[in-house]
Amino acid sequence: MKLLLIEDDPNTTGFILRGLKEHGHVADHAADGKDGLFLAASGKYDALIVDRMLPGLDGLSILKMLRATDNHVPTLFLTTMGGIDDRVEGLEAGADDYLIKPFAFAELLARLGALMRRPPVSDVKTVLRVGDLEMELLKRVVTRGGRAVDLQPQEFRLLEYFMRSEGRAVTRTMLLENVWDFHFDPQTSVVETHISRLRAKIDKGFPVELLRTLRGVGYCLRADT
Amino acid sequence: MPIPRLLSTASFRLSTLYGAVTIFCFAILLAVTYWTATAALREQLRLEVLNDLQTLTFESDADGVGTIVQDINERTLISSKIGGYYFLSNKDGLKLAGNLDAIIPGEGWQELGFEHVAANQVMALTDEDHELWGQGNRLADGSFLFVAQDAFRVLSAQEAIIHSFLWSAAAAIFLAVFAGVVMSQGFLRQIDAINATSQAIMDGDLTQRIPVKGTSDEIDRLSINLNRLLDSNHSLLESLKQVSTNIAHDLRTPLSRLRQGLEELKLKPAGTIEHDGAVDAAIAESDQLLATFSALLRIAQIESGTRKSAFKVFDLSQVFERVASAYSAVAEDEGKTFAAEIAPGLSFRGDSDLLLQMVANLLENAIRHTPSQSRIWLTLLPGHNGAVASVADSGPGIPPDERDKVFERFYRLDSSRTTAGNGLGLALVAAVADLHGIGILLADNQPGLKVVLNLSGST
Repeated sequence: MKLLLIEDDPNTTGFILRGLKEHGHVADHAADGKDGLFLAASGKYDALIVDRMLPGLDGLSILKMLRATDNHVPTLFLTTMGGIDDRVEGLEAGADDYLIKPFAFAELLARLGALMRRPPVSDVKTVLRVGDLEMELLKRVVTRGGRAVDLQPQEFRLLEYFMRSEGRAVTRTMLLENVWDFHFDPQTSVVETHISRLRAKIDKGFPVELLRTLRGVGYCLRADT
Repeated sequence: MPIPRLLSTASFRLSTLYGAVTIFCFAILLAVTYWTATAALREQLRLEVLNDLQTLTFESDADGVGTIVQDINERTLISSKIGGYYFLSNKDGLKLAGNLDAIIPGEGWQELGFEHVAANQVMALTDEDHELWGQGNRLADGSFLFVAQDAFRVLSAQEAIIHSFLWSAAAAIFLAVFAGVVMSQGFLRQIDAINATSQAIMDGDLTQRIPVKGTSDEIDRLSINLNRLLDSNHSLLESLKQVSTNIAHDLRTPLSRLRQGLEELKLKPAGTIEHDGAVDAAIAESDQLLATFSALLRIAQIESGTRKSAFKVFDLSQVFERVASAYSAVAEDEGKTFAAEIAPGLSFRGDSDLLLQMVANLLENAIRHTPSQSRIWLTLLPGHNGAVASVADSGPGIPPDERDKVFERFYRLDSSRTTAGNGLGLALVAAVADLHGIGILLADNQPGLKVVLNLSGST
């Protein structure tokens, strides 16, 4: 995966670049907005990581200019802590996802993974399959190994998100944002509670555990062992 | 009190103005009195003169000049008593009778000086209060008769009027100035009290307040309002101080834990499970610290009011439904009974993300601060003026005297000190409620706590 990081803070830059390299990605870096826009416009990147505050040209402007020239390269927007309007502004400017600094590297990696494998809009599936787990989206029916699984609406949405992210790490925050549309950090175990209920319904009594916990990262739904 | 300062006060200027107006009124009164009183006196004097002159003229025309010479001589003998002055001459100008000198003016009404009075008739009447007012007539045989009276009555009345005016004007001016000084001094004393209080506060004594007399006049009302302003500023400052102290206090514990953990980590060999566990613990600790800062910044941003520009009308019932469905499972897993009653189709103007977090925070508090087997209710119902929501539980509740304080940042009840949490949940609730003009009431649920939200403006 070839990535471009547009970020002026040397500490954050070092942290991200080292992490990406360790995970086998190739990343270029621009420390100011104008260089960043120039590189991003070349079209040779699989995804962009853009900081909001940049010298020369801010992250929002870079995004708007790219989108205005019909460049739809997946972009992860980095915003500062507490900027409660940043999320909306970033998404409106054309970002595909956003991440609040400071963040865990696993979170960044999981989100980049989700961006990269985001299916094209035209690809509308009606049946999702992971191993022997099957979800019929129109009938809203879920079966595992041919046996019907009875899910509550929220459990259904949670499972749907996992099935669409098959094989990829999904963090707790990603679940909160995408399944519950919660943009804050709950003080109770909302995610854990629903995960454990979902597990009890789809994994209990089956030899292969599909929904797994990734320590220090989050969860992953995958069929292989 | 220094005089120049007194003179420059507003109340002194005002009373001086009143004084000037009083004097102006006096002047008008004087002019009217002077004019009407002297006109009557003057007319009276004129009629007396004309009457006398007519009598003498008739006599002369009937019986000849000789008869009135006699009359005039008789009258001038007692002229000092009746005040009559006469001059009679023949047609050649030769004086025949009278107590006036030969220098005689012409016919018609004359107002003359007293120098025409014959020397032997002047009885120490030389001051300017005396004038000769009279009329001259040519008689039928060509002789000339002039009859006059001393105008002392008229002139002295005029003078008396002017004098009384001057005295009362002087008294009025004095009273106006005196009243001005007294009023200004009272006014200045009150202003000085306000100034002294301000100075004391600027010097650091924030508890100083302006003395209030209790007369509820303008200055008193101003003082009361200023005192209220000072009170609210004082409490704001106090809470700010409290917040800084609380931040320092609340962040010191996790920071020292973090430091301790890192120190222990140094001793553990890398690559072991223990080592990894300590690293994870340190990361979790710093994440908790960051979450606290993030919550603080979020509250500050909400309080700044910038979110108001993004207010939209949204489905309030749906937000409550989302919270209820997210937390019902959590409550059940904690061994609590959860019930929700949410009226459909209610909408509200505001920030749906913040409203969601507000309701979620309240519900999380109910879940976290109640013992197992407790019951928790969430309701959203249409009210008289918009919607009314409530989050209630059957837990230990909040003592009445602490109900206001729980909205302060980092404030925690003694009973919940051991529960995880940053002590910012209700502070955020208060900030969101304030931004949206939502009234919050903490009530006794007998037993437990009932938080009532008054979402006026929702439809």
